Amino acid sequence: MPKLCLAFVLMCGVESSFAVLDWGTIRDADFSATIDQDLTVKKSDGSTQKFQTTIEPRWDIDLTNNTRLVGIGRIRVDNESKLGFSGSNEHVDLEVRELYVDTQWRSAYLRLGKQQIVWGQADGLRVLDVVNPLDLREFILPDFEDRRIPLWTANIEVPVNDVWTAQILWIPDQTYDELPERDNTYAMTSSLVVPQAPVDVPVRLMQAKKPQRKIMDSDAGVRFSAFLGGWDVSLNYFYHFQDQAILYRHYDGGAVSIEPKYERSHLIGGSFSNAFGDTTVRAEIGYSSDRYFLADHRDTDGIVRSGELSYVLGVDFQGWRDWFISAQIFQSYLTDTSDAAVRDRVDVTATVLLQRYFMNEALKAETLVIQHMADNDGLVQASLAYELTTDVQVNIGLDLFFGSSDGLYGQFKEEDSISFGVEFGF
Amino acid sequence: MNKKHAGGWLEDFFSFIVNRPKTVVILCLLIMGFTLSFLPQLVKDTRSDAFLAPDNPALVYRDKVKEQFGLSDPLIIAVVNEGQQGIFNPTTLELVRWLNDEIEQLDNVDSDRLVSLATEKNIVGSEYGMDVREFFDPVPSTQANSESLREAIDDFPLYKGSIVAKDGKATLIVAEMVDELKAEVTYQQIMAIVDRATVADGDQIHVAGEGAIAGYLGSYIDADAGRLNPLAGLIITLIIIIAFRRFSPALTGNVIIAASVLMTLSVMAANQVPFFVITNALPVILIGIAVADAIHIYSHYFELQAENPEGEVKELVVRTMLEMWRPVTLTSLTTVAGFLGLYFASYMPPFKYFGLFTALGVMIAGTYSLIFLPAAMVLTKAKVSNHFVIKHQSKKSDFFATVMILLGRITCTYPRVVIALFAVLAVSGIYSSRYLTIDEDRIGTFHPSERIYVADKIINEHLDGTGTLDVVIETSNVEDLFLPENLQKIQSLQTFAQTLPYVQGSTSIVDYLKQMNRALNGGSVNEYKLPDNANLVAQYFLLYSASSDPTDFEEEVDYDYKTANVRLNINSGSFQDTKETVVKLEEYIAKEFDGENIRATLSGRVNVNYHWIKDLGQSHFLGLGIALFLVWAVASLLFRSSLAGLFTLIPVVGSILLVYSAMVALNINLGIGTSMFASVAIGLGVDFSIHTVDRMRSLYRSVDGNIDRVLERFYPTTGRALLFNFMAISCGFGVLISSKVVPLNNFGTIVALSVTTSFFASMTLLPAMMKVFKPAFIDSSHLAVSTPARSFARVASTVLVIAFGGYWLLSTNVYADEKMTASEIVQQVNSVRDGDFVTRKLTMHLMDRRGRERVRETFGFRKYYDNEKHSVLFYRSPANVKGTAFLTWDYPDVDVDDDQWLYMPAIRKVRRISASDRGDYFLGTDFTYEDIKLEGKLSMSDYEYTLIDEEVVDGVLLYKMGSLPRTKEIAKELGYGRTEFWVNSSNWLVVKADFWNPKNEFLKTLEVSDIRKINGIWTRHQLAIKNHKTGHLSRFVFSDVDYDTPVDDGVFTQRALARGR
Repeated sequence: MPKLCLAFVLMCGVESSFAVLDWGTIRDADFSATIDQDLTVKKSDGSTQKFQTTIEPRWDIDLTNNTRLVGIGRIRVDNESKLGFSGSNEHVDLEVRELYVDTQWRSAYLRLGKQQIVWGQADGLRVLDVVNPLDLREFILPDFEDRRIPLWTANIEVPVNDVWTAQILWIPDQTYDELPERDNTYAMTSSLVVPQAPVDVPVRLMQAKKPQRKIMDSDAGVRFSAFLGGWDVSLNYFYHFQDQAILYRHYDGGAVSIEPKYERSHLIGGSFSNAFGDTTVRAEIGYSSDRYFLADHRDTDGIVRSGELSYVLGVDFQGWRDWFISAQIFQSYLTDTSDAAVRDRVDVTATVLLQRYFMNEALKAETLVIQHMADNDGLVQASLAYELTTDVQVNIGLDLFFGSSDGLYGQFKEEDSISFGVEFGF
Repeated sequence: MNKKHAGGWLEDFFSFIVNRPKTVVILCLLIMGFTLSFLPQLVKDTRSDAFLAPDNPALVYRDKVKEQFGLSDPLIIAVVNEGQQGIFNPTTLELVRWLNDEIEQLDNVDSDRLVSLATEKNIVGSEYGMDVREFFDPVPSTQANSESLREAIDDFPLYKGSIVAKDGKATLIVAEMVDELKAEVTYQQIMAIVDRATVADGDQIHVAGEGAIAGYLGSYIDADAGRLNPLAGLIITLIIIIAFRRFSPALTGNVIIAASVLMTLSVMAANQVPFFVITNALPVILIGIAVADAIHIYSHYFELQAENPEGEVKELVVRTMLEMWRPVTLTSLTTVAGFLGLYFASYMPPFKYFGLFTALGVMIAGTYSLIFLPAAMVLTKAKVSNHFVIKHQSKKSDFFATVMILLGRITCTYPRVVIALFAVLAVSGIYSSRYLTIDEDRIGTFHPSERIYVADKIINEHLDGTGTLDVVIETSNVEDLFLPENLQKIQSLQTFAQTLPYVQGSTSIVDYLKQMNRALNGGSVNEYKLPDNANLVAQYFLLYSASSDPTDFEEEVDYDYKTANVRLNINSGSFQDTKETVVKLEEYIAKEFDGENIRATLSGRVNVNYHWIKDLGQSHFLGLGIALFLVWAVASLLFRSSLAGLFTLIPVVGSILLVYSAMVALNINLGIGTSMFASVAIGLGVDFSIHTVDRMRSLYRSVDGNIDRVLERFYPTTGRALLFNFMAISCGFGVLISSKVVPLNNFGTIVALSVTTSFFASMTLLPAMMKVFKPAFIDSSHLAVSTPARSFARVASTVLVIAFGGYWLLSTNVYADEKMTASEIVQQVNSVRDGDFVTRKLTMHLMDRRGRERVRETFGFRKYYDNEKHSVLFYRSPANVKGTAFLTWDYPDVDVDDDQWLYMPAIRKVRRISASDRGDYFLGTDFTYEDIKLEGKLSMSDYEYTLIDEEVVDGVLLYKMGSLPRTKEIAKELGYGRTEFWVNSSNWLVVKADFWNPKNEFLKTLEVSDIRKINGIWTRHQLAIKNHKTGHLSRFVFSDVDYDTPVDDGVFTQRALARGR
């Protein structure tokens, strides 16, 4: 926290000095910010789920011809505090979202600092998009950009030859997924992710042993990408700690203790996409060497270890007037056989997105449907966004969960909500 | 005398000069010296192309063709052997090989494009398919081998007539130059090679072709000028000495000539105006004119001296100048008017510059005559010759005066006869002018005895011809030229073309394909035809490239097999001979190559020549009209009588009409060299009539209205001076008659003829008319006595009014050369430069019908990679879209989808998006993707264009054009049923457009404003589209446009999108 405050103060100082903008070193500086005001109401009883103000300032400072310093901050103030912030304060959350330096050395592009890195061609479904951890306090409802947790990374992109470009990542940051607390609105209850103890047995949750060593516990990866014969292709490899602690179960006398541990895995995969007339095809595939899944009582430590092969195939269609239709299918296959795993060996999720613009793109209507085949549960998200003026946008949204209460999505069936928002830009 | 006191400031001015003669002389010489410092910068430009304005569509297109196919005006080296075997013998063939190798090594010769028997290849069938081998692989060393070669050529129709004569008695080596401006050096080098060659008995070598003409013309004309100018100067010096029997007038006369000629050339050099072929006439003309003023001034001075032998030199000089400044200024102005007529009426730069700079030279001569001459006269203490004094005092006339007096007597006695005589001449002249032929043939510049002339004739006799006409065929898609229907069209074109007059042969990719087909099908003559499917065509090319170099067809087809060139060989260069061919060919291609999938455009030397000669006649008569008008205006205003102005024109007009008759009688055509004679003749001839009218008026005042007495006094004095004036000019031009440059020769003849007629008309017709009709203006006593000052003021203001008035009137019409056609306008619009790359800020203002506005600020780059266009747009504001970036790789082929990527900051990812339909609206604006992609250019493959009207708005000429999509599918795809748009003729940008949708509902209007040149490129800064159906308005405002700073290729990549720069 002190570190963050310091960074923030630094940025404020820099900003205020723009009044005397004659620094010899600074060539150009740009400041912009957005202020969001959000009201989310539970559909079932009309109670307020969230009344949040979010301010996101952003600084782009060109230090030299090809070096830029970017800083993005976030201040959240939630009156209701039902969703829970990770920090000690329940109502206010202050965060340096991203802070990095973009520079170029010879033909290599470098981005060093706290940043988000997104791999893969899928929307929302993660096969290769596992570089950054997620903030799950609002489940998957907010935009990805707001859910992803930026990490301190050294990101180097360098052309290998005329065709291929290599991106090398080194992440000495041991930040992982942020899970909601037990009493938060979107606290997980599904047996797919939460170990189920028999009734009346006390469960003791031990402190998670987080990896501490900056160098030895860092994540690293490389991605090769190219534009070949009209196809955008990539080959990816990532050696990383999984972003959620694996909850090992021990029987301790009559009690159950859960020991969260973080485990590593290799991920190797690739993606490709191309556009044919009005249709865009995109796909990504990945194999994780060591994945850990919750097991039922048949397993000794409650965890099944298996390799996982998963892929996403997506098709975007733009041929019919102003409609944009996108459909994806996600399949995950466990390579090691074991009945004990709670989840199915083959797990399939499908998504459909319908989007349409009106009034010279001033009004946007969107509906997203996610269906998880195993439990027949899913999520429907519908929204309308309207640009009132250049800097003011209003939106209204609807989030509906359906399906089995034990499912990943269905567990939030009670939390269907309607949201209203206004966004101001500077 | 009154004049001494009423002189006013003019008198003071001349007194100043005579009192400080040394200062004035030194000053004049210094100014001359300073101006001459620019003279070494003068460059020569002998190219045919120099005669066309650089933005002439024919020239622009030809340059495009040159870029694509590398075709330029070649040097043609012919080896001729009239013997029984013709050139098919080992010695001659070896000579051909030797010449080929020597020429190949020259720097300025494009060795890749050298065409001869030594470079060309035979296509024969073999068991493996196609065998492509050079004819000279190896060089035939025996008669038997030579005969086989003859058979091989006979078997390859393409080469017969084009590089080998049909009778086998001649063969060509065709060389193209890398830099045409070095033509002269290259020509000399080739002539040196030819001279070095070992030529056996029976062999002849000839060098011709447009390249050779351009190369030789320079030195040919220089040699001529080197002879003519000194000769003219010498003759004129002699005349002056004979006239005045003194050396000093000749000396000062020569100084004025030097000042006029050299200073004019220096000013040309300083303004980077090159020395064109016709500029050779400029020094000769100036020599004649410059000296006239000196002759008149000296003549008057010596008269005064003879009358007042004891008079002070200085005083006499002042008196002379006060008397002579008026006619000297008048004649200079009217001569300038004559040449400015040429400047305004011509559409060819060399003529315009000729008119302009000759006018400048005349002004310099006039100025030096008024300032330098009096000072020089004082310094040299010009003393009249005794001979003159004696003659004057004894009232006896010398030989020349006697001649004039005789002439005068005849005129006085038979005035009506004289008038009738001239009337007859005038009528016959008008009648003859209808039979004037306009013709031009570059080779006609050379005397028939010149090697190059002979060479040209021989080559045109034996082979297909030295003249070239290209038909460029353009198709819509890559490899469309594989399609048999397109190849058939080309074949039909060739067949048709060869029926046209003077077209002796043609070369295209079709000829090669036919030979390949034959080679691969057993070699039978019946198989010399096109393959019937596209795959076969593709295979043939592949097979060819396996045994030879695919770049062999560089001059016939482009790399993508999309554009082809058909080269027609024509054996005449004359305009009259070729114009029917050009016109008929244009009609044929307009009908057969209608533009949907295949288009054709004419180009090549013959086409370019056709375009610039066809308007020559119109330009000539326009120049004549303008010059006459200007002269009339000047004279009328200065004599203060429009009738007087008319009288001054009469001798000149008569002389021109006589020249027309002479041209018809002598078979001299109106061409490049001769068409400008009219302005020159007016400028020179009018001097005689001005002096005549002016002197007669002043004499009339002093003899109280007795016309006979006026004439009596006129002839021995002014008449005599005019005689010397005439002799000087006619001898100056007479010298041109001895020129070996045929057009200059003709030019000299007709100008001499015209000047002679003007002189005689002024000396006889004018006085006769004055006597018979007694016009009022001869009596100027009723006019208020004007002081010299007032006269000068009037002269000056008149000149200025006319100059500005004329310029303003004509400036908008100065390039009214050809009426533009729709396709020419479209070509012009599409040739406007938009820079290889550009960086710019774009602010999009989107306003809905309620007036609510949304603004988006973006920053964009665009760069061309050959025909591919890469563009990227980064959003800077508002905050909710900041960081969004849009990258497009545009491919020129309509059937290949563009590649597009979108970076959305919200997902931190670059997304591949489907190439939007061309008619889809771009990012919520009222511009479609196609509108954005075209950036103001016009698509020939999608639309047919027509020219609706010409409108003048705010003094600017706009072409109103209409366009219709070629098919219903295109209309639906693009969203437009028809459009009307306005093209600004001064910058060739579309400035306004109206669009209707396929249901013919009025859809939207585009208005372009704030058009300024940035880095030399016309840039549209504001584009506004109003959608009439939705009421929505999109306004694009471009700023910070930069075409100079290079754009890094890396900005058009996906990683650049994510980085936002």
